[in-house]
Amino acid sequence: MPKLMHKRHDASDIFIHWFNAACWLLLLLTGVGLIQNPAIDPFGSGYPAALRSLVGGGTNLLVIHEAIGVLWILGFVFYLAVNFKGARFFLAEVFTVSPGRDLPWMFKKMVLMTLGPKALKTMGQDPNLPEQGYYNMGQKAFAQASIVGGVIIAVTGVVMLLSDRTFGAESTVMIGWAVALHFIAVGVVFAGLLVHIYMAAISPEERPGFRSMFTGVVPDDYAKHHHRLWWDKVRTGGK
Amino acid sequence: MARQLAMVIDATKCIDCKACVAACKVANKVPEDQWRNWIKHENEVPRVGAAGGGKARFQPGACMHCDNPTCVAACPTGATYKDAENGEVVINEGLCIGCGNCIPACPYGARFRNAEKRKADKCNYCPERRAHGLEPACVDTCPTKARVFGDINDPQSEAGRLYLANKDRLKRVAALTDTKPNMYYLGDLGPEAWGGEAVVPASMVAMKQSAPLIKGIVALSGLGVLAMLGRQLLAGSDHKEDGDA
Ligand code: HEM
Repeated sequence: MPKLMHKRHDASDIFIHWFNAACWLLLLLTGVGLIQNPAIDPFGSGYPAALRSLVGGGTNLLVIHEAIGVLWILGFVFYLAVNFKGARFFLAEVFTVSPGRDLPWMFKKMVLMTLGPKALKTMGQDPNLPEQGYYNMGQKAFAQASIVGGVIIAVTGVVMLLSDRTFGAESTVMIGWAVALHFIAVGVVFAGLLVHIYMAAISPEERPGFRSMFTGVVPDDYAKHHHRLWWDKVRTGGK
Repeated sequence: MARQLAMVIDATKCIDCKACVAACKVANKVPEDQWRNWIKHENEVPRVGAAGGGKARFQPGACMHCDNPTCVAACPTGATYKDAENGEVVINEGLCIGCGNCIPACPYGARFRNAEKRKADKCNYCPERRAHGLEPACVDTCPTKARVFGDINDPQSEAGRLYLANKDRLKRVAALTDTKPNMYYLGDLGPEAWGGEAVVPASMVAMKQSAPLIKGIVALSGLGVLAMLGRQLLAGSDHKEDGDA
């Protein structure tokens, strides 16, 4: 008997997710190579030096990074043009937090994933998690960071791109801050990304969620257990 | 010993004719109202026969290709760096985006943002001329030969000979930030206050200060992932995933 499935992602959602992930990977690899200053470079000067000689110099690396960055922004423009409704739904879900339900969920989930249910019981806590909606609080927190971070990264990236094309010397204070904010925003989103990739691709709990990023659908029982409030809505047709 | 290209300048020979300033501007196509080098002099014009000798004091200068280049420390990308081969402080124009961090970081005011290229600019010892065996434009043109250019670690070069012979009496511009400049002066180069202070823009300071913080949160996040992975491998999943059966 075919399992009951629920639609979770549109084709355009799946496209933008993997397109974004691929861009991020390449932008991270090239971007870290563009930092060369002992006070800030994350892995010392060996990595930037090696990468620069691989692509034929720092100038080429900058051009590659800029080209991928522009492509990344165009990808999002394309997504918004195709599925603006989906983006609005996503933003509404991600930025709707109900602290009474979501904060205990976040705390308990962190303890469960690292120390286990016994630890929660020792603390006198019920190891059952509060019900969650379309996204759980962990997903929402990461999505919030990557949306805010992504906007900062894109805007500051464009400022830097235009720095030696249109801006004059009077704009250097703004450009200097664009450099710093670009760096900080990438760092913060990257920290979240480690957990995101673990939860999505490595942790067995979210396997059906992982598959949904290719197929677009999740099984009924997965939805019921992981996204109960969303499941309720889908069941009653009140999505 | 590694090469160190430098200038040894006899300040007493300088007559403030500004030929070096004009030659540099032409040779390097420096935009209007911008200069890569200078001759500084005291505000009061010395009077012949006045008390105190009325001696003119001029300071011909430009980028001093310092041993402790504060401009390099202010550059996030290494677009400006100190060449290990010849000690020159170089700007890679392909990598520089003109963020401007290095400009206030030079206590001598030797850097500016080129109005046409929109990138950092300064003296580079005329590499195109050197490639053809010529001296930098300012040195070539100086009518009194006040500017001498070369590798000060090479006793065969004129600059090296001057440098070694006068080591104890050579002066450098005394900036508030000690950048160990490679521009040496014979004779009186005028007020000490000609060198200023290296100022690193607040945005670069913020970046430097946030770097260890960011490493910290990435490390924390990585530790969290390791803890989850460890638990997954040791204890297995706590609940059988129904949807995954
Ligand atoms: C190998 C890398 C990645 C994998 C395996 C992965 C996997 C997934 C999966 C399976 C989902 C669906 C979760 C669900 O709807 O239940 C998801 C959602 C999402 N992904 Fe990724 N992803 C990766 C990289 C990235 C990157 C680089 C970003 C952005 C910087 C990103 C941002 C998001 C966001 C914002 C969501 C929606 C909210 C959330 O589920 O947290 N992902 N990802």
